[in-house]
Amino acid sequence: MINVLRSEWIKLRTVRMNWILGIIAFAFPLIVTLLTAFFSGDDSDFTGLILLEVLTGTTVVTTLLCGVIAAASITGEFGFGTIRPTFAAVPRRMRVIAGKGIVAIGTAMVLVVFVVLIGVFVGQQLAEGQGATIDFDAYPSASAALLGTVLLAGLMSLAGYGLGMMTRSTPAAISILIVWPLIAEGLIGGLIGVATGWENVGAWMPFQAGISLVFVEFNDFDGPSRVIAGLYFGGVATVLAAIGAWAVNRRDA
Amino acid sequence: MITVAELTKRFGNKTAVDQLSFEVRPGVVTGFLGPNGSGKSTTMRCMLDLDRPERGTMLFDNRRFRDLKSPLHEVGALLDAGYVHPGRSGRNHLRWLAASNGIARARVDEVLNLVGLTAVAGARLRTYSLGMRQRLGLAAVLLGDPHTVILDEPANGLDPEGIRWIRDVLTHLASEGRTVLVSSHQLSEIALMASDLVVIGQGRLIEQGTVNEFIERHADRWVRVKGPAVKSLRGALAKAGGEVTETADALDVRGLTCETVGELAAAGNLVLHELSPQTGSLEDAFLKVTAAAQEFRSGVTEVAS
Repeated sequence: MINVLRSEWIKLRTVRMNWILGIIAFAFPLIVTLLTAFFSGDDSDFTGLILLEVLTGTTVVTTLLCGVIAAASITGEFGFGTIRPTFAAVPRRMRVIAGKGIVAIGTAMVLVVFVVLIGVFVGQQLAEGQGATIDFDAYPSASAALLGTVLLAGLMSLAGYGLGMMTRSTPAAISILIVWPLIAEGLIGGLIGVATGWENVGAWMPFQAGISLVFVEFNDFDGPSRVIAGLYFGGVATVLAAIGAWAVNRRDA
Repeated sequence: MITVAELTKRFGNKTAVDQLSFEVRPGVVTGFLGPNGSGKSTTMRCMLDLDRPERGTMLFDNRRFRDLKSPLHEVGALLDAGYVHPGRSGRNHLRWLAASNGIARARVDEVLNLVGLTAVAGARLRTYSLGMRQRLGLAAVLLGDPHTVILDEPANGLDPEGIRWIRDVLTHLASEGRTVLVSSHQLSEIALMASDLVVIGQGRLIEQGTVNEFIERHADRWVRVKGPAVKSLRGALAKAGGEVTETADALDVRGLTCETVGELAAAGNLVLHELSPQTGSLEDAFLKVTAAAQEFRSGVTEVAS
């Protein structure tokens, strides 16, 4: 299994598109968060909560890009035909599927750990350097939100990887991964809400529930708690990955 | 030794391979021949567990491919030189393959040198020609120094030097006692390097045996006679039961032996410059044997002059 992990790690980092997406995923939340902190001035309204919410909110984009990288890690194999030499080198397909998933998910989580650490510590220094007062201790759920961000990166990658295995097509997997959380869930939630009168059904849509993992405060939020949201979205992502793995294992390569 | 037994593979309603059985012995190059669409590539993919067959057993030294612990050390396969990521370099392509089977990084540079791609090892694969990709594919085959080699059309896109090189490599590998199975449409190449043949058509085995037996059994045979006044022999040859075809400077005689033709020439006091038995090529034999199994046939067979 170590050999498979090593091989998949080489594959992941020897494709330029992964570097481009990775750099965007890394830089976007940091640029927004650090610029926000830098231009906070001595605004007394700028608090640690705002800094955290800007950071975790923009990191959702990072997690989506991590899902795209994970999806492309398998769809690219089918698209370019490299899945065949891959399975010819490692005929036990589940090893490849597991190894590729571990590398994609692990890389995404490590990347978001760095984003979070840099965003929090550098953002705090920048804001305080401008005269703002940043006190993270005032927000007991700050750590949970930051951990939730890392977990969301992993689960989004798992979901993207699952969609990639199911569709075997980069455009299809990425379209679903972007359209589902950003458009489809809103429409479906709205329709269900109109039909049943359940106003807050949107918060229970899988990706929306997953995104609530990064909330610093749950004021006025009528959706699942952080733990339930994590288990729920984790379950959906796991089901997608399981169906995809079953299909890849069963079908012709 | 490769053993394929009762292999059947369907794509929807179409049976691509139908109860195909054959063996490939070590120590020689075995040519795997068949018309387009006859199921050669599908068979190779099934052998490597890439396509899931409906039934059949494929064994490498009595072991299933999926049970091999380090497949690159045991079976080296090149199915399509195009199975590469165009944005990756040749060296990195080999590095991930090597890593998957715990093969040292130094071996990557060794095989790159062996196939003559060291100078372009760092270039992206989108800049490689088909011939360069074939060489890279062969480098991947050689990575684990396997005892079984399976190649699908390895000479595609190679220049004459490359074709000769691949022929030399494969015959050398076979001479070391390895099992080598090669599919190719370049029958002249197969004739030069292969000792054994597996011929299939429409997914079924047509024939398995040695190249010599195959040609012996199926190729056309005739006697070629040349001489200053050889055309005057035509009548005597026909009278003796020969079927005579006249060419620019010779007669090709079917149905008579060299001895009979020689004796008829002597009886007519004719001077001969050549009297030789002729045998058709592997290509002739192949076309004859697979005529009924040609799925895709050209519409125009003659060009009007």
